[in-house]
Amino acid sequence: MKEFMMIFIGADYEELGLSPEKLQEQMGKWFSWGDKMQEQGILKGGAALVAKGKRVSGADRVESDGPFVESKELVGGYYTVAAHSFEEVMKIAEDYPDYDLGGSVEIREIIKFDK
Amino acid sequence: MTSKNNHKIVDHLFRHQFGKMVAILSKIFGLSNLELIEDAVQDTFLKASIKWRDKLPENPEAWLMKAAKNRVIDIFRQINAEKKRQVKISHGTITLEINDFFLDHEVADSQLRMIFVACHPALSKKEQIAFALKAISGFSMKEIAAALLQNEETIKKRLVRARQKIKDLNITLDYPTRDEIQPRMSGVLQIIYLIFNEGFHSTKPDLLVSKDLCGEAIRLCKLLLLKENFRSGSLYALFALLCFHASRLDSKLINKEIIDLKHQDRSKWYLPLIVLGNDALRKSREFDDPSIYYIEAAIASEHVKAIDFKHTNWQRILTLYEEMYQIMPSDSILLSKANIYLQINQLKKAKTTLDQINRATLNQRGYLLNGCYSAYHEKCGDIQKALEELNFAIQGCSNLFEKQYLENKKNLLLTTL
Repeated sequence: MKEFMMIFIGADYEELGLSPEKLQEQMGKWFSWGDKMQEQGILKGGAALVAKGKRVSGADRVESDGPFVESKELVGGYYTVAAHSFEEVMKIAEDYPDYDLGGSVEIREIIKFDK
Repeated sequence: MTSKNNHKIVDHLFRHQFGKMVAILSKIFGLSNLELIEDAVQDTFLKASIKWRDKLPENPEAWLMKAAKNRVIDIFRQINAEKKRQVKISHGTITLEINDFFLDHEVADSQLRMIFVACHPALSKKEQIAFALKAISGFSMKEIAAALLQNEETIKKRLVRARQKIKDLNITLDYPTRDEIQPRMSGVLQIIYLIFNEGFHSTKPDLLVSKDLCGEAIRLCKLLLLKENFRSGSLYALFALLCFHASRLDSKLINKEIIDLKHQDRSKWYLPLIVLGNDALRKSREFDDPSIYYIEAAIASEHVKAIDFKHTNWQRILTLYEEMYQIMPSDSILLSKANIYLQINQLKKAKTTLDQINRATLNQRGYLLNGCYSAYHEKCGDIQKALEELNFAIQGCSNLFEKQYLENKKNLLLTTL
């Protein structure tokens, strides 16, 4: 079994100015997606990220304040799941709730290092 | 990730909580900070919508209240810092005082006060509705725009104007004085009635029944009834009326097709609401303030009472419409009367009544007049004329479902030619 990371890009709720009703609706979809993966026992981990951040770069360790990309390119969070193939993960990713809000899912395989 | 948790949340929790929190925070900080408050509450929901994905708090409602409370303290600090003043009260005292505001009865009380603000006579009717839907019912600008068939920009302007008036006139969350309560109440009832009707007769092209608006109107009515000195015959009557109408919501539209009163499956009418309505109608008679709402509720109760369309007590309904016309003469009452004359085959009376109506006063519901004329001609056997009027009706109707209903009628007529 391999592990994959689904990276959620775009669909910043704050930026979109969603109504309380819509927020609750989206949340409900995240719930049922999470529960579904949980039931299948494939969900390994995940987190949501705050939009603001810091960046340290270059030999001089220059510090700058984020966000660094436009909100539609912003990484909002990720899930890691166990699966056999990309095809399987793409199937899982079909339930991502935010496609309609302009969001997308990037799928990357996690490299397993030998212990 | 945590173990599986039960992700059940009450429907519309966020929307309803929005109104509650805005009311409480406005009580604490004053209405002049309304915009700031609305933003802060919106912020709390944003946080919740992401935080809760991982694990739902044990009591979501309490979580939101607590988060809002913390937000209050934040705002407190911010305002104080801006004014470069020392915080007068120590942190502990603030928390204690604020806790009091979040007690259940205080929450209901804040919302009631907010209703009176929304119905302040300084605001125009249109501003009142928009403000009520936003500040009390937690609708977003987009949702209000969709519900009222306006663009977002218009709604935004109305809300800005309403807030500005509240600031300029220094309107506070105090209840009106004792002798001011009843006159103000009539404005409150009117707004609730309008909100309900927006939902019930929604002219939104793709949705006949906007149930949320109806639900909100009923909720606001219930809220007012909780307070003893707000109770009146008209308030109970309005509540009865909304219950009777709402009981038919689910039978009115089936498979995107509108079903008229005659053909609705009466066994599907929602009984608990009818019982509630009957009860309220009875209570309203204990007061001595007759109202249009009472007559309307009485008419609705006649429809609900009738075992089928044929057994409707039309005579009684006619009398009620006449009473109504005495109090408030209007062409839509004439239209309703004409409709009944048609039902009981008093065609001459139907025609005279229809001829008294000035089409312009019916506004965008003018097509109903054509529909009525069409039915009249059909009953007289003049199918050509009936079709002519029906075509006018179809042209003038903006609601897709109602249009379809009229089209179906037309096709039926064509087969009789």
